[in-house]
Amino acid sequence: MKQIQVGTARGQAGARTEGVLKVGVLPDARPVELPVIVMQGPGDGPVLWLQGCIHGNEQCGTFVIHRFLAGLDLSKLKGAVIALPVLNLTAFQFNRRTSPFEIYHGGDLNRVFPGDPGGNFTQQMAHVIFQALVGNADCMVDFHTAHLKETRWALFTNLPGAVGKRAERMARAWGYVPTFPTPPTTLTGAAYMQAATKHGIPGLIVECGGKGPAFDEAAVADGAERLRNVARALGMIEEPVTRHEGVHYVSDFAWVRGRSGGLYRNLVEPGQRIKKGQVIGKLFDIFGKPRESVRAPEGGFVLTVNPGPLLISGDTLIHIGLNPRPAPAL
Amino acid sequence: MAKTKSKTKSKPAAAKRPADLVLGDARAKPGSKASGWLRLGDLPDGQPLAIPVHLVNGAKPGPCLWVQACIHGDEYCGAFTVNALVERLDPKALAGRVIALPALNITAFQAGRRTSPFEMHGTGDLNRCFPGNAEGTITEQMGHGIFTALKAHADYLIDYHTGGVKETRWTLYADLPGKVGEAGAGLARAYGFKVVLPTPPTTLGASAFINAAKQGIPSLIVESGGFGPAFDSHLVEDGAERLCNVARHLGMLAGKVKDFGRQTFISDFAWINGTTGGLFRPTVKGGERIAKGQVIGRFTDLYGALIEEAKAPAAGIVLTTHPGPMMATGDTLIQIGLNPKEV
Repeated sequence: MKQIQVGTARGQAGARTEGVLKVGVLPDARPVELPVIVMQGPGDGPVLWLQGCIHGNEQCGTFVIHRFLAGLDLSKLKGAVIALPVLNLTAFQFNRRTSPFEIYHGGDLNRVFPGDPGGNFTQQMAHVIFQALVGNADCMVDFHTAHLKETRWALFTNLPGAVGKRAERMARAWGYVPTFPTPPTTLTGAAYMQAATKHGIPGLIVECGGKGPAFDEAAVADGAERLRNVARALGMIEEPVTRHEGVHYVSDFAWVRGRSGGLYRNLVEPGQRIKKGQVIGKLFDIFGKPRESVRAPEGGFVLTVNPGPLLISGDTLIHIGLNPRPAPAL
Repeated sequence: MAKTKSKTKSKPAAAKRPADLVLGDARAKPGSKASGWLRLGDLPDGQPLAIPVHLVNGAKPGPCLWVQACIHGDEYCGAFTVNALVERLDPKALAGRVIALPALNITAFQAGRRTSPFEMHGTGDLNRCFPGNAEGTITEQMGHGIFTALKAHADYLIDYHTGGVKETRWTLYADLPGKVGEAGAGLARAYGFKVVLPTPPTTLGASAFINAAKQGIPSLIVESGGFGPAFDSHLVEDGAERLCNVARHLGMLAGKVKDFGRQTFISDFAWINGTTGGLFRPTVKGGERIAKGQVIGRFTDLYGALIEEAKAPAAGIVLTTHPGPMMATGDTLIQIGLNPKEV
């Protein structure tokens, strides 16, 4: 097997090794060092890259990664797992989506790949991460969370040929009901799409559980088991692959922003099927007087939804998976 | 605990009040409702810093119940509860007055923060600066404006808060000697959450509710539900119903006062700050009894290794916990109600 090296973490057959990947320097001259874990089996196999908290306040994935790694039997693992549980470390520390050190740009780490060694704070970080990713990984899973703890959906890099096929097998092994085969024209600056289109590394994005107090233990336990199933499907663990029924593909997602603000009462849940025009929530003024009923601009799956209780113009209102249809047999 | 007479008048002024109820730019004639804005200051763009006010002026005489929410801007559950109460009230059937303020610390509320983003130099905790200061920081000036109105109008005060997790449910009443304390206990009983802290005036001394009590206004704090995604819409209707029960207890609404059963009084609360940081998962829930030394949560590092098991420094009832999943040193780990006793 090719030698794995991510920052100071160096792969070793049959061992778990830990280290850090330096991605920047802070105003007090201390380095920003991301935690890296490498678990390498004794035998050859694929290298699976796992990353959490590319958005600093989406923390369920960090726990999924830890739970999955804790359940791995190194002696039986084929290939290796490289895990970066917290990618956007300074954003994580501040419990924010983006880094507090990002001043002039949006700073969304999952929109700036492959990064830029001469770019802003976030772009430089992306560059270092991307070099490590493409230099070591054969496939990847990128973890996100949304508003509510019931959030459960996945996206895979739907490219023509072997890369897309392998990503689809990973997505089906993950097996969430709403799944989005993502064309290379969507989320172009995301780590997983850049890795797939430029370097042939198939990838998944998993949206699992909620932020802050919407953290969900059940999503973590379930996610760790699904991740193990992905490792089975990749041939890294010799166990029968669980077949998840009921997977539906969506053709795209509508990311709908609120046009008004106020006190908000959400009426739908992630995973629910909604119709175009259906009332999905109610807005009230500060005195509790109804202002308007908010309607779904499209039909489909509720992927995630803003639970309120407050809403401001332009905030994400709902994420709808469009045109759901049963996934074809593989 | 002696049963409080429900019609206790702590302030004799009620009878002498003008017929119309006026606060800020809102005016409600007897038997009607109104809403408007109470100006407390000015913003950098010259717009008024004004807070929303509901007035419900009953057709019949009776006490004035003042209900306020979001003294901490991100504790939203109360705003919805206060509005749901006003929605339910029929001023024709009401004996007395209800003044309801859904968003006391309005700029903090807008920003989704505990304290105002315009507070630069003070601590900015609106519930730690009463009776306020007309020449103080923005928060102190707000405190002064609110307290002036409160003193002028209120016979009873209920102040809404939320905790770290959805299961949070407890109340505190200002336990001053004499009638004010007794009437406060009556509010707590009529609200009916099981866990109650009779709060001495030395605890939360600069809060609205203790300062109101010192002015002879029996006062209750309600801790109900959680922040942000821990918002619990079930608690909104439940809270409005409990507030109606308080109004029945005070003789403001007709009907039988519901008895929620025996309550558990605690002697104090221990507010425990974490002494380490990391990924955090609480292992206990709001309302649960815990023993001293019991594991209440686990800190792990970014590699998934255990840093520390947090242990309860005292026995009691869990009032609220940090929801995790991560926290920094010094953040609120848990609040424990000490020496719980059924009364």
